[in-house]
Amino acid sequence: MKTLITLSWRNIWRHPARSGVLLAAVMAGLWAGVLTVGLVNGLMHQRIDYLIESEITHAQVHHPEFLAEGYSWLYLPDHEAISDWLAQDARVRSFTSRTLTDGMLQSPVKTAGVRIRGIDLTTERQTTNFHENLIVGDYLDTDIRNAIMIGERLASEHNVEIGNRVVLTFEDVENELISASFNIVGLFRSASADYDQRNVFIRSDEFNALLSETAVYHEIGIMLTDQALAGELVDELNAAFPNIHAQTWRQLSPELSMMVELGGVMVVLITVIIMTALAFGILNTMLMALFERMREIGVLISIGMSRGRVFGMIMLEAMMLTMAGAVGGMILATLSINYFKDRGLNLEMFAEGAAQIGWDHIIYPSLAMGEYLAILAVVIFITLVASVYPAYKGIRINPLDAARDA
Amino acid sequence: MTSAKTSVMTIVRTESLSRVYNPDTVPVHALRDVSIEIDEGEFTALRGPSGSGKTTLLNMIGGLDKPTEGKVFINDHEISNMKDGARIDFRLHNIGFVFQHYNLIPVFTAAENVAFIMMLQHRNKREIQERTDKLLRQVGLGDRQDARPAQLSGGQQQRVAVARALASEPRFILADEPTANLDTEAAMNLLDIMEKMNREQNITFVFSTHDQRVIDRARRVITMVDGAISQDETQHQS
Ligand SMILES: Nc1ncnc2c1ncn2[C@@H]1O[C@H](COP(=O)(O)OP(=O)(O)O)[C@@H](O)[C@H]1O
Ligand SMILES: [Mg+2]
Repeated sequence: MKTLITLSWRNIWRHPARSGVLLAAVMAGLWAGVLTVGLVNGLMHQRIDYLIESEITHAQVHHPEFLAEGYSWLYLPDHEAISDWLAQDARVRSFTSRTLTDGMLQSPVKTAGVRIRGIDLTTERQTTNFHENLIVGDYLDTDIRNAIMIGERLASEHNVEIGNRVVLTFEDVENELISASFNIVGLFRSASADYDQRNVFIRSDEFNALLSETAVYHEIGIMLTDQALAGELVDELNAAFPNIHAQTWRQLSPELSMMVELGGVMVVLITVIIMTALAFGILNTMLMALFERMREIGVLISIGMSRGRVFGMIMLEAMMLTMAGAVGGMILATLSINYFKDRGLNLEMFAEGAAQIGWDHIIYPSLAMGEYLAILAVVIFITLVASVYPAYKGIRINPLDAARDA
Repeated sequence: MTSAKTSVMTIVRTESLSRVYNPDTVPVHALRDVSIEIDEGEFTALRGPSGSGKTTLLNMIGGLDKPTEGKVFINDHEISNMKDGARIDFRLHNIGFVFQHYNLIPVFTAAENVAFIMMLQHRNKREIQERTDKLLRQVGLGDRQDARPAQLSGGQQQRVAVARALASEPRFILADEPTANLDTEAAMNLLDIMEKMNREQNITFVFSTHDQRVIDRARRVITMVDGAISQDETQHQS
């Protein structure tokens, strides 16, 4: 085997220019491909982390029908028991209860449908970092009564600013229509312009005073010590409290779930596309190498090298050449990824569009071991496919051709 | 047959060999009804004009080609009806080849060219190394082990080819016009080496040639004309 490797390696370097060109092509292709995959991957993880940490959290608990209907009377039964359960669980890092309902926001200019989110300032701050989205004013932590924080975008649409009043109208738990006026104390800007237009924040105690005689909560957001624990925690919650519906972040956000899956597919897809283009280069180089060595291979078969070994020799040659380029390209890509990992790659030029759909404009590329292995697997597979034909040609060589006069 | 002859083992035996090229278009009868025996220890030349069938006969004996009719036995194994894979393996362990164009692997050193065939035989590393060393010394290239073929003269390359052919410890060595590309000195030097191995180690050589100086050194000379054997004589060394 070692001799075969030596033979293949030296054969590769018989034509340094020809092999070098393929090597460089594979290297450049893999560098670009892996870096792209790293960027896409980083972008997705940033988006996922951001949504989890700013709002969705690792797991949530609702009344089974609340998410579909949004009515205030679909509040959580057993809220206190669930809170006690969560407070005692070591996997739970923190949790926060929210009072939610859909309603109308009315300004002097116009009226718009919004989701009203009543939050507990202390536990919300411990659980999420939505407060980091505040751009002006206060994060509801003021003495002003009926304080409200709205999206910067919503504010400009309604032509209101801090200090102005808006009216919220919603149904209470008894199905009665309630209207109350709120004072704008802060403006926020999250990564999603759409979210900023549809969500307003008030204090849950003030919300509850209007909604119901006793405090009601519609959602508990739970952060865990490790996101991987979400599945089992949710199962246990659902078993312990049959009247509620607990879900993991992946169940709660089909968008995120799809992104996780898409991420895996993207790795393979980008590599397949790049390698398919390179496959023709591999095929061409190997056929050229084969045609000029027909006689030599004929001699090897004459003296007793089995056709299986000849096949292996040609495949090995293609594999070593491609892998040398692939590994080189992956090392370059890893260096590039590491360079941008903490610094971030600033795509400010496109940031306006990115913010619209809720993406960061600075990307921190990242790639896990498993993804590198997936890329390598694709490279190996496509190289094998591309070198099968030359190898097949190789084993069809007639040893008589070798002995024939040149 | 004399009793002296039966005590020697017959290595190669052909039975009414015929080979017709292009039977469907313009048939060429390259071999016609050739029956010969070659015994262990022979030093035999196959001579005849160009196109007389020497290469075709050597290819049959070496298991590189199949006869149209007739049979080839090597030590009582019929190689003319073996499957391709089995024939390759049989060649690896039983037959040594020397070609007119040397045909060494250009990316291998002299030593690696010799060692490679033993590697194909799955011999152990130490044995391969020792044997390579010994063989290259025998062909007078003990000091050129690490040279690539391109760094060697034609005569030296052909000597490496002889060492390679011997490396697998074959039953006999077939050489098709081994000296055709060599000058007189290199040709005689190669013959000296082959003769010495034949004499001292009883290695069987069968080689084709139309060079009279080479024919003169053979003990048995088989003459071919038009694909048939016209003469088969044993000559005394001068
Ligand atoms: N592959 C082939 N196809 C057709 N004819 C061939 C082939 N090989 C050899 N011949 C013919 O067979 C005859 C014998 O050739 P060969 O055995 O090479 O003779 P020699 O080695 O004595 O010169 C010649 O007429 C030659 O032209
Ligand atoms: Mg010939």
